[in-house]
Amino acid sequence: MQVTLKVFRYNPEADKSFRYEIYTLEAEETDRILDLLEKVKGYNDGTLSFRRSCAHGVCGSDAMRINGRNMLACKALVRDVGDKITVEPLLGLKVVKDLIVDMEPFFDNYKKILPYFINDSPLPADGKERLQSPEERARFDETTKCILCAACTTSCPSFWASDQYYGPAALVTAHRFIFDSRDEAASERMHIIAETDGLARCHTAYNCTLACPREIPITKAIGELKMATITGKVE
Amino acid sequence: MILKRNVSLATALRYKGQGPYLTYILHRIGGLGMAIFVAVHILASFLGGEIGGFLNDVYKNWAFQIFIFFCALFHAINGLRITILDLWPKLLDHSREAIWLEWAVFLPLFGIAVFVILSTALGG
Repeated sequence: MQVTLKVFRYNPEADKSFRYEIYTLEAEETDRILDLLEKVKGYNDGTLSFRRSCAHGVCGSDAMRINGRNMLACKALVRDVGDKITVEPLLGLKVVKDLIVDMEPFFDNYKKILPYFINDSPLPADGKERLQSPEERARFDETTKCILCAACTTSCPSFWASDQYYGPAALVTAHRFIFDSRDEAASERMHIIAETDGLARCHTAYNCTLACPREIPITKAIGELKMATITGKVE
Repeated sequence: MILKRNVSLATALRYKGQGPYLTYILHRIGGLGMAIFVAVHILASFLGGEIGGFLNDVYKNWAFQIFIFFCALFHAINGLRITILDLWPKLLDHSREAIWLEWAVFLPLFGIAVFVILSTALGG
């Protein structure tokens, strides 16, 4: 089948503003959008720039807007998006070149919620693992799946309005550690996410949940954090 | 040198966020509509005279009343849905059904109100 691929282009060394370029390509229904971009870069225009790494939905490098919605280019198939495809960079982050955005504000927000395991208690008597039950592990299972692709954060209207908002990805990571029975910094993190740029900026638009390529119930996780900060109980 | 990526209102509205995003946008329009109504109401009383009379005519107009009723009713029902989901996050597993229920409550109520407003305004 023939597909029309409309790609957002911006070269900071040559362009004053962005433009769109249209490529007509032969493709299979089962081709991924990443395959089409690789084809354009390989055969049409080697200057086309985009991030990609594992190309299997694990590294989260190739999140972009495909037909107006955030997706991973390596997971979106031609048959799912149709034969007229528009590819644009993520919203709310500065465009560095073509489909590449500056991820610094995203990671700056991520770092604010202390995204690492904190437990200063002495190790168990046997000096081995800090054990937890399968139920305790299951409590935060969904939020361990985040790959930091930024598809959720850059689909959020609150983040579009202010990149000071921590964003769904940071809050998902906060959930992952706050509800981990082995971690000891839950109250510190709850204090951080209760700041003005934290939970209060989530207005339940639900874009994040629909954009997540890992199908993490993000809005639900944020809802649980809201209740935890209100009641002071992590259950 | 990097291009600053401002998310304009037009760009934001073009994002394809499906049903929940539509309710998010309508909720904002609803809030704005009610603020406009209150402002027009206060200004009409405050200014008086010809301008006050004109503003009175605006908010008594049936089309304006239908718009304001849409804003108030949608804002209220959608706000109730969000409040319930915020208080019981487990219900977010049924977010889609919650939106269907919201429309199922909103549409008949709005339809009845439109019927009453129109039959009063146009029926004499």
